[in-house]
Amino acid sequence: MSRIWRSRELLVFLLLILLVLVVGLINPNFWRARSLMHILNSSLILILVSIGEMFVILTRGIDVSVGAILGLSAVILGVALNAGVALPLAVLLALAVSVLAGMVNAVGITFLRVPPIIMTLGTLGVYRGLMLIITGGSWIETIPTSIKFFANWHILGVRFFIWVTLVIVIFTALLLRRFKKARYLYAVGDNEEGARLMDIPVRKTLFTAYTLAGLFAGIAAIIFVAQIGFVPMQAGNGQELRAIAADVLGGVNLTGGVGTPLSALVGAIFLTAVDSALVFVKVPGYWNNAVGGAILLAAVYLDYRVRRAVAAQQRQARAAVRKENNHLNPSTREEQA
Amino acid sequence: MAKPATPSPDHYDPQSDKTPLVELKNIWKVFAGVPVLKGINLNLRPGEIHALLGGNGSGKSTTMKILSGVYIPERGDIFIDGQRRVFHSPNEAHKSGIYMVPQEPHIFPHLSVEENLLLGLDIDVGEAREKITRLAQEIGFESGLSEEAGSLSIANQQLLEIIRGLLRNAQILILDEPTSALTFREVEHLFNRMRTLSQRGIGIFFISHRLNEVMDISHRISVLREGRIVLAAPTSELNSQKLVRAMLPEDADVREVERRARSAQSREASEVALDVQHLSSDAFQDVSFQVRAGEVVGLAGLVGAGRTEVAEAVVGLDPHARGRVFIKGQDVKKPDARRSQSLGLVYVPEDRHAHGIFLDLPSLYTMTATILDRLGRYLISRKQEEVVGDSYREQLSIRMNSLYQIARTLSGGNQQKVVLAKALASKPDVIILDEPTRGVDASARQDVYHLIHRLAEQGVGILLISSELEEIVDLSDRILVMYQGRIIQETQRADISLQKIMAAAFGLQGEASL
Repeated sequence: MSRIWRSRELLVFLLLILLVLVVGLINPNFWRARSLMHILNSSLILILVSIGEMFVILTRGIDVSVGAILGLSAVILGVALNAGVALPLAVLLALAVSVLAGMVNAVGITFLRVPPIIMTLGTLGVYRGLMLIITGGSWIETIPTSIKFFANWHILGVRFFIWVTLVIVIFTALLLRRFKKARYLYAVGDNEEGARLMDIPVRKTLFTAYTLAGLFAGIAAIIFVAQIGFVPMQAGNGQELRAIAADVLGGVNLTGGVGTPLSALVGAIFLTAVDSALVFVKVPGYWNNAVGGAILLAAVYLDYRVRRAVAAQQRQARAAVRKENNHLNPSTREEQA
Repeated sequence: MAKPATPSPDHYDPQSDKTPLVELKNIWKVFAGVPVLKGINLNLRPGEIHALLGGNGSGKSTTMKILSGVYIPERGDIFIDGQRRVFHSPNEAHKSGIYMVPQEPHIFPHLSVEENLLLGLDIDVGEAREKITRLAQEIGFESGLSEEAGSLSIANQQLLEIIRGLLRNAQILILDEPTSALTFREVEHLFNRMRTLSQRGIGIFFISHRLNEVMDISHRISVLREGRIVLAAPTSELNSQKLVRAMLPEDADVREVERRARSAQSREASEVALDVQHLSSDAFQDVSFQVRAGEVVGLAGLVGAGRTEVAEAVVGLDPHARGRVFIKGQDVKKPDARRSQSLGLVYVPEDRHAHGIFLDLPSLYTMTATILDRLGRYLISRKQEEVVGDSYREQLSIRMNSLYQIARTLSGGNQQKVVLAKALASKPDVIILDEPTRGVDASARQDVYHLIHRLAEQGVGILLISSELEEIVDLSDRILVMYQGRIIQETQRADISLQKIMAAAFGLQGEASL
């Protein structure tokens, strides 16, 4: 059972290939490298947000404000650039705001002990509100082209941001595998009480997770602004739910303790590929949400079934222990006679 | 000292006067104003396996939680190697060499064995790995280090916990009922490991409810009752009978006489209200019994013996239960709580907050929850509802400002009465009461006892589950004792005695001549 579970990323990856094959049969244009590259390029934002969300879900938490953080950071970046702030400084500013936004969530959850869903639902509103307050409700346009350059910059024929994302995925994957303290994320989500008894700094670990979720939404915001070139007020809208869906699809367990950045990567690419596939098989764009939602449902249901199967297995194992006991354990009557 | 050492096959000599590894002096602990430990004195010598014995709520676990830094005592001192220590957290206890292996091992199911062991430990990985391999060999831990910890058997999870403690250089291990989830063979294995550790000079506190195991493995036994140590002696000087006697309340004999003085009515003739045949599920096997109309049948046993699980299966809350249940001769067929209730069986669960009461609604709404269909055709008739409420308020002397007082604001005893009112409102023929007096004050407790008597007089069959043996012995016409998922003893009213029930609850049978 656990082996299948561990290769969940592989399973989704195979599904992804199947999807590409089937859609390609209907419309061979889908098979072109250009199309596939396009899918990858449009999934970058979701990949990053999903990795951020993954840190939180690993600890058995949830963060529904990451979409709003993305939007807020994008607004900060846009406003800063339009105000003539130098590009590197504007980027740093946007990242700082995203980290700060994540830390606000972290403070509420770890120190004020507000349940994660309530805390982040609250800040979702606050951050979206801040976007409107800062901009007065209008889109940010006429952003200097200096940032758009990066979106179209190709290195070895592959877009710059794809390289960036790839490096980030590999880096976080290695970090989670090798770095001692990264294991705390898994431990806290797996068995919080046990972690406390082992003297693992539970609060610090949770704090880090929500802060990282903010940071990754901020990185995603930079790619967002570079790719689109303007900031609509809906920037990042619904991105949190897509990120959760991507994580769960890729094998991040909502009950904590299980998942890797690869899960987020594969899940995010799959969801984006579905969107593109719908275009290629000429399903109107307004189907996207419905299909995305259906896939999320299927993923969550699958997650639930797997957990139930595991629980049933453990139940049977326990029953087997008792049965063996009754066979082997000579009845107390004989022993005490 | 001057005492000659008795020849023992064991290396450990309980009379030795080595300095204790740990010494607890006059420990007091109070929960919500109620003292649960009243001056515990306890020590553990190097290499000693010291068993702690006692009924539910006697204070064993609380004592061990104080030693391992989970609770802080109100009064008393802890000495480690002769030096006074105060623990504010489990980690501080770890640093003093104390490690507690809880009943349910605190493992991280999705991490590997090695990750589980190294977590939170600040030592070099290479060095640690060497140490782990050595310890694993010594302890006889045969699972691979890269295996997922959640896939290990409970026995191996416990060994993993023990290794975790040894990695932290623990000198004092606390094993809290380690054998309750193990097979016979696994218990043997664990005991051998405990002997190895004991030879290395590690002291072990061992909590168990199985007297034969305690007699088998321990060097010394301390018996706790009501927060005091009532017996402490080397195992070689003790036997099961002495242990059971120590666990009984002091006035047991007096109560016995009083109880017998009351007239015992025979219910043999009345009709069978509840008939359970060969019921089995995960937590219990082959349970059969009958409850007659007007009879109070006690279901005794220790926590975890399977009593609540049986009750839940009887009323149809356990979809995995196999066996047959007849209510007034009607076959319930498959588990179905709704059908059981319509046939006249109600269950008053142990955890009333979780299963029995609407805490944030007017108390009246709980009382009438199961009989709404009788309170008006389409809409609820407020008048009829209040009539029902008032009648039970009076019958059970429920103290509340009004029928609409929010249930949460009632005292525990009155909440329990509200739950009982709900159960009675459906006019049951059989009622299962699971720990009806838990968390209930003394006067409400008497009210509950009166109610049980009155219901029995009215011909209701009652199955009474309680961890308080005195309560069960006082109220029951007949007592079934469960031990490890089986009914191991059935005692008729005339033969009921506290000692007999206590002995059976601890797995001893046929010892009427205690």
